Amino acid sequence: MKIKREELAQKIGEMKASGYSYLVKITAVDYVDHLTALYFLRDIDKNREETLEIDLAPTDLWLPTIIKAHTSADWYEREMSEMFDIKIKGRKAPRLLLERWDGTEGPLRKGFAWGEDYKSM
Amino acid sequence: MLIDSIVKLFNSLLASSNIAYNLIALIIYAIIIFLVLAVFGYMFGWVERKLIAKAQYRHGPTYVGKYGILQNFADLVKLFSKASLDLDNADSILYSTALPILISLTIFTVMLLPIFPSIQATNISFGLLLVFVVIAFMPIAIFLSGYASGNKFADISAQRSILMLLSYEIPLMLVIAAIGLISKGYNLQNIIAMQSNAYYIVLMPIGFAVFFIAMLAEIERPPFDLMEADSELIAGWMTDMSPAYYALALFLDYSKVFMSSLLISILFLGGWLGPAPIPGAVWLLIKAIVIAVIAVIIRATTFRMRIDRILRMGWLILIPLSLINLIITYIVFVG
Amino acid sequence: MAITRINIGPVHPSTHGVLQLVVDLDGDTIERVDPHIGYLHRGVEKLTETRMYMQNPPYMEKLDYLAPMSYDEAYVSAVEKALGIEVKERAMYIRVILLELQRIASHLFFIGTIGNDLGQMFTLFMWAYMDRDKVLDLLQEATGSRMFYVNMRLGGMLSDLPPDFEERTLETLDYVEKRIKEYESFIEKNPVFHERMKNIGILPPEKALDLGVTGPVLRASGVQYDVRKNSPYYVYDKLHFEIKILTKGDNFARYKLRLLEMRESIRLIKEAFKRMPAGDALGQPVKLRSPPTKNKIVCVSREAPKGELMMYLVADDQKPYRLSIRSPNFINLMAITHMAKGLRTADLFATLGTLDLVMGCVDR
Repeated sequence: MKIKREELAQKIGEMKASGYSYLVKITAVDYVDHLTALYFLRDIDKNREETLEIDLAPTDLWLPTIIKAHTSADWYEREMSEMFDIKIKGRKAPRLLLERWDGTEGPLRKGFAWGEDYKSM
Repeated sequence: MLIDSIVKLFNSLLASSNIAYNLIALIIYAIIIFLVLAVFGYMFGWVERKLIAKAQYRHGPTYVGKYGILQNFADLVKLFSKASLDLDNADSILYSTALPILISLTIFTVMLLPIFPSIQATNISFGLLLVFVVIAFMPIAIFLSGYASGNKFADISAQRSILMLLSYEIPLMLVIAAIGLISKGYNLQNIIAMQSNAYYIVLMPIGFAVFFIAMLAEIERPPFDLMEADSELIAGWMTDMSPAYYALALFLDYSKVFMSSLLISILFLGGWLGPAPIPGAVWLLIKAIVIAVIAVIIRATTFRMRIDRILRMGWLILIPLSLINLIITYIVFVG
Repeated sequence: MAITRINIGPVHPSTHGVLQLVVDLDGDTIERVDPHIGYLHRGVEKLTETRMYMQNPPYMEKLDYLAPMSYDEAYVSAVEKALGIEVKERAMYIRVILLELQRIASHLFFIGTIGNDLGQMFTLFMWAYMDRDKVLDLLQEATGSRMFYVNMRLGGMLSDLPPDFEERTLETLDYVEKRIKEYESFIEKNPVFHERMKNIGILPPEKALDLGVTGPVLRASGVQYDVRKNSPYYVYDKLHFEIKILTKGDNFARYKLRLLEMRESIRLIKEAFKRMPAGDALGQPVKLRSPPTKNKIVCVSREAPKGELMMYLVADDQKPYRLSIRSPNFINLMAITHMAKGLRTADLFATLGTLDLVMGCVDR
C-alpha cells in the first residue's frame, strides 16, 4: 500500500487499532531516482500482512518516527537511517548503531563510493 | 627410626625456650607446608582437570607427560613467561601485597592444623579458634586485592567477598561452638582424640552439612564461586592480574581446597584416626582427598547461585540450622 | 545510590561473540543496558548486490554460523521465487529434513550455552556439543560439510541423500530424544537452575509483540506464531506437528520451549521420511548466468531456529538489486534493553543467554 510520509504516523496508528500490532521490519530500497521506505506489518491473530511503502525524493530524505506505536521500530529506524542517510524526525538522535563513521555515507545507497579494496563484478 | 628422630628433634626445637630456635623451626615448617601445598595443589589441579574431563566425556590433558600429568607444569611455565601487566588505576603496593598475604594466611592455617599426631606448629588450647581467626582474614585480603586493582569487575567481586564473609562466618562459628561443646575445648589434638569413639559427622550430621556448605562458600568453590564468576565478572578479583600473579592465585585456590578439606576431615572425620597398619597422616590425607574430590564433583555438575540467594541461604537457612545444631548438641552432650 | 557503569564486552566470556553491553548498575541491580553492536558488521546486504545470484549463498551462511543452512535456504528460495523456478517435490522433503536437523543442532547449542551462562563448569556445554556433533555428522553425510553447507541449488539440492541416510538419521534421532530426557533430568532436578531461571526476565505477550521479538522467545511468551504453520512453505502443511507455546514468558519458559521444539522437530523428520517420494531431487548446476527474472520484488519468510527470518529481494537482471534481511537476532537483542531493568547482574547473562543470540546475524 503506497502512502505519503505525512500520513505515516496516523496510518500506523489506524492499522495497529485494526489488528496489525506486530512490526516485522522497516527497511528501504534505493531506486536512484527515488527511495522507497517499507514498513512490514502483521496481524498475528488473523494471519495477514500488509506493507506500507513511502516514496522519498533523494533530495528530501526524512521520515517521521513510529516509535510511539511500535517500540520495535527503535533499532529498525536507526539502522535504516544509517544505511540510507534518512533523517528520522520526532525522536532524539541516539548514537550510531551499526556504523563507525559519521552516519551520513549511506552505505546501502547506490551512489555509495566503494573503497579501493573492493572490486565489483 | 630416622623419621621418628627427625620429628623428635623438630618438636624439641619447637618447644625449646630459645626464640631463635623456635623461629628457625617454624620457618622450616612453613617451607615444608608450602611444599606439601604445592605438591597437593599440583596433583589436585591435575585430578580436577581429569575428573571434570571425565564428567564431560573428554580426556583432559593427555599430551604433556604420562596421562598429561605435566600439563599443569607447562601451563605454569607459560604463565610465568608471559608479559606482566602494568595497571594504571591500581594501588600497586596494596595490589602486589594482597596475594602474598593470602598465600601466607593459607600456609599459616595449615601450620596450625595437626597433620601428624606428633607435629603441629603450636598445640594451644584455643587452636581451632585461632584457625578461624586466620581464615576470616582471607576475604578481607581478597577485598583489598580487588579494591586495589582499580578494575570495576574486581571491585564488584571485592564487595561480594565482604558480603560472603558476613553471611558465612556466623554459621561456621556456631558449628565450631558446638564442636567446642562436645570436646570441651578448642584444642585440635583433643578434638581428634575425642572422636576415637564416634566421629563428629555421626554425632552432629546437621553441623557437618552446615559446615561443609559454609566452607565451600568460604573458599569460593562452586556453586558459591561468586567472586570469580566467569560468566559475569570475567575472573572477579583476578581480572587484571599479571599472568605470574594469576598462577599464584591458582595455587592459592588449590591450597584453600587442601586447607578446608583437611579442616573438615580433622573436625568431622576423625583426623588421623583409622585402622592401625596405615599411618595416621595417610589416613588424614585420604580423608582430605575424598572431601576435595566431592568438591570437584560438585563443581562439575552444579550451576552458580546468585549473590542474593546465597546471602538469603546463609542467613535464613544455615544460621538457624547451626543454632539448632548447637542446641541439640547442648541438650544431648552437656545438659 | 551511585550508579556504576561497567563495560561488558566486546571480549567477555558470556556475550556470545562480539557484543558490547554498557551496563549501569545500582548496587547489584541493573538500571540500564545499552548494547553496542556492529563489531561484526560486514555489509553483507551491500555485498550481495555485487555478486551474481548463486555466488551469494556462502555469504548468507556466515550470518548465523550455528544454523547456516536456514539462511542459505531462505536466500535460495527467494531467488527461486524471483526467477520463477519450481522446487522438485523430493527436494522439498530433503530441505525440510535438513532444516529440521539444523534446528535441532542450533537448539542443542543453546542448551549448552545456557549452562555456561548460569555458571556451570562447561559440563552441560560439552554434553550438548557432543550431541550436536552427532547431528552435524548427519549433515556432513548429506552435504559433505560440517559447518557451511552451500548445498541448496535452484530448484533442488546439490546432491540427493546418501542411501542409508534414513536409518542413520532415525538412529541418531532416537539417541537425541533419549539425551533430551537426560538433559531434563540433569537440569530440572537442580534447584539452583529453577531458582536462576523461573520468574526472571519475564516478557508478557503484549510486550513481546510490541518489542517485536520472534521465534522461541515470542512463543515462550504465549503468542502462537510460527511461520511453518501460519504461512506454510514446502511441505510443512502436509506434515503433522504442533506449535508449542508456553505462557510464562520467563527464562525457564524460553529454555523449556526449545526442548519441546526439538521433540517436535524429531517427530517432523520421522514423518517426512515416511512421506518422502522417490525421484529426482537435484537442482540446476551453478552457472554464472541464471534464467531471466520473472518477479521483480519477492519476499520470503522462514522460521529459522532463532526466529523469523525474512528475505526481501528486489531482483535485478542477474543479481540482487537490493537484498534486505530481517534478522531474528537483531530484534531479539533489542528486547534486552527493555527486559533488563531491575534484573540482577547475574540474571542479565541468563536472560541474554535465553535469547540465543548469534552476533554475526545481528550485525549482518
